[in-house]
Amino acid sequence: MFLEVNNLSVDLGLFHLVDVNIGLEKEDYMVIIGPTGSGKSVLLETIAGFYRPQSGRIFLEGKDITHLTPEKRGISIIYQDYVLFPHMSVFENIAYGLKKRIEDKEIIESMVIDIAKHLKISHLLDRNPETLSGGEKQRTAIARSLIVEPNLLLMDEPFSALDVNTQTYMADLLKKAVSDYQTTCIHVSHNFNDVWSLAEQVAVMRDGEILQQGEVADVFSKPRHDFVADFVGVRNIFQGEVVGSGKGITDVEIDKNLVLHSSDAYNTDFKEVIVVIRPENIIFSNQPFVSSIRNQLKGIVTGVVLIGPTVWVEVYVHGTSFKGIITPSSLDILGIKKGNEIYLSFKSVNVKLIDKD
Amino acid sequence: MRSKLELSFISIAFIFTCILFIIIGSIFLIPSFEGFLNALFSDEIQFALRLTLSTSIIAASCVMLVAIPTAYSLARYDFPLKSVVKSIIDIPMAFPEIVLGIAILMMFGNQFLWNVLQNLGIDIVFTTAGVIVAQFFVAFPYSVRILYSTFNYVNPRYEFVSRSLGYGEFETLKNITLPLARGGIFASLVVTIARCIGTFGAVLLVGGGTYLKTETLSIAIYYNLSLGNIDNAITAAIILVVISFIAIFVLEKYTYKDMEGV
Repeated sequence: MFLEVNNLSVDLGLFHLVDVNIGLEKEDYMVIIGPTGSGKSVLLETIAGFYRPQSGRIFLEGKDITHLTPEKRGISIIYQDYVLFPHMSVFENIAYGLKKRIEDKEIIESMVIDIAKHLKISHLLDRNPETLSGGEKQRTAIARSLIVEPNLLLMDEPFSALDVNTQTYMADLLKKAVSDYQTTCIHVSHNFNDVWSLAEQVAVMRDGEILQQGEVADVFSKPRHDFVADFVGVRNIFQGEVVGSGKGITDVEIDKNLVLHSSDAYNTDFKEVIVVIRPENIIFSNQPFVSSIRNQLKGIVTGVVLIGPTVWVEVYVHGTSFKGIITPSSLDILGIKKGNEIYLSFKSVNVKLIDKD
Repeated sequence: MRSKLELSFISIAFIFTCILFIIIGSIFLIPSFEGFLNALFSDEIQFALRLTLSTSIIAASCVMLVAIPTAYSLARYDFPLKSVVKSIIDIPMAFPEIVLGIAILMMFGNQFLWNVLQNLGIDIVFTTAGVIVAQFFVAFPYSVRILYSTFNYVNPRYEFVSRSLGYGEFETLKNITLPLARGGIFASLVVTIARCIGTFGAVLLVGGGTYLKTETLSIAIYYNLSLGNIDNAITAAIILVVISFIAIFVLEKYTYKDMEGV
């Protein structure tokens, strides 16, 4: 394991961690999600060495770093509020960590210029951080932490202060930068988009505890804990391949002979996509019907489960499982039973495509 | 159209500012300009001015050296009896300066401490050193107060980021914390010097207020007024007012602008 957190417990009064265990391989990208106040930031700051754990151990590349001071860990951290040093220019902010390691001013300058190009902030180097937009500030913060080539990059809600368009742009930029710099990342968020667009590994946290950790598709399709199921919501997630597009509709094949239509624009750089359909967007009917709904599939009911006030219905279409959610009264009216034939309908706008590279 | 409340509050602000201004201005209604000049260049006032400035600068420097670590530890660290330490530091702000003076006098008059200091060749009571000690304890709480809120105002995440980029605690303090707190440190320095210059009761008791030895400007006002030497008293007062105006001006001009955005 590249990073191993064993039975970590921290008590800060207001926030605490209880027996946290995390394992990451080199160049993994993990997103930790959980509600506000679940201790996500404290976990990052403890891994970075700002808080002393009551018990437990942290290993980085096999070395016990539990009691190492933060400056000796080689772990960078990025915050939601950027935390750029206001008394330094953008250039000085980015160069700050390098100055500790490298004496030669020319090398520092060329490295800063290089990473600035990567993050598209070359034109901002002389500016005062306070004059930058949110996205520019965050790119500066990313440059400042990546330039020292950290063993581990920690990010605390890095995109949550940005508008939605900037978030998407930043996610792409970050993804490319961390893969170019071969950085291992832990990213804390409460936004599922961060999980879809960035994570390879996901961990769900609540009240200072990690409830489940694993590959993204695994955790989302097989939640092992009530809270995880509730929090992530069971979704229909498929790997797909774009097979055609036109007139604002993208056709995605998720299985042989099973093509879905999405109104998400298709990014020509990516052929492989992840397809997500929320269960509440699936309409069940006993007969096919003519409408503007672009996706209508015939399948066999394989499961009906009553959970609280809702009913989860699982339907197999050509061997692919779809999950939908209906009310008990709809269940009665439609007479849905295991083994029945049924039709699924969902609008193309509810078929979300996520680039995958 | 302004509301009644708005109008009445603004009027109160204006009227009482005017009264305050007239009170301060009345100091300048000196009997004669010649008398002012004579007093200004008299041995007594010249000595008092030099003594006040030099002791205040020394005392304020000592205060800053002690107040910065004190305020930083109160703002950043958790330690046993922290709230007790905070209250004790604040006490002198609430009780009369003259009480602080008598307390210092009692302490240094203590037989044991007296002997120890005598053996070390240090004389505190009724000396210039006594003036500095009195100024130090009068100004210290104010300095800590301002620095404490300044350090509280500096987000510890700046320090976290600096540490994570490879800098140790001292380097981070030097590169990040102190520069970010510079507005507050400067404000604290100005207020400290102003407190040292203006203090009266404690300095009179501990320093003794001896003519041409430990007589500061505020003591000079008191002595000359009681002796009926109005020119000297008012001249000393004018010097103090001018110094305060400079302090306020410097404070306004350099600190608040600096604190923004931290």
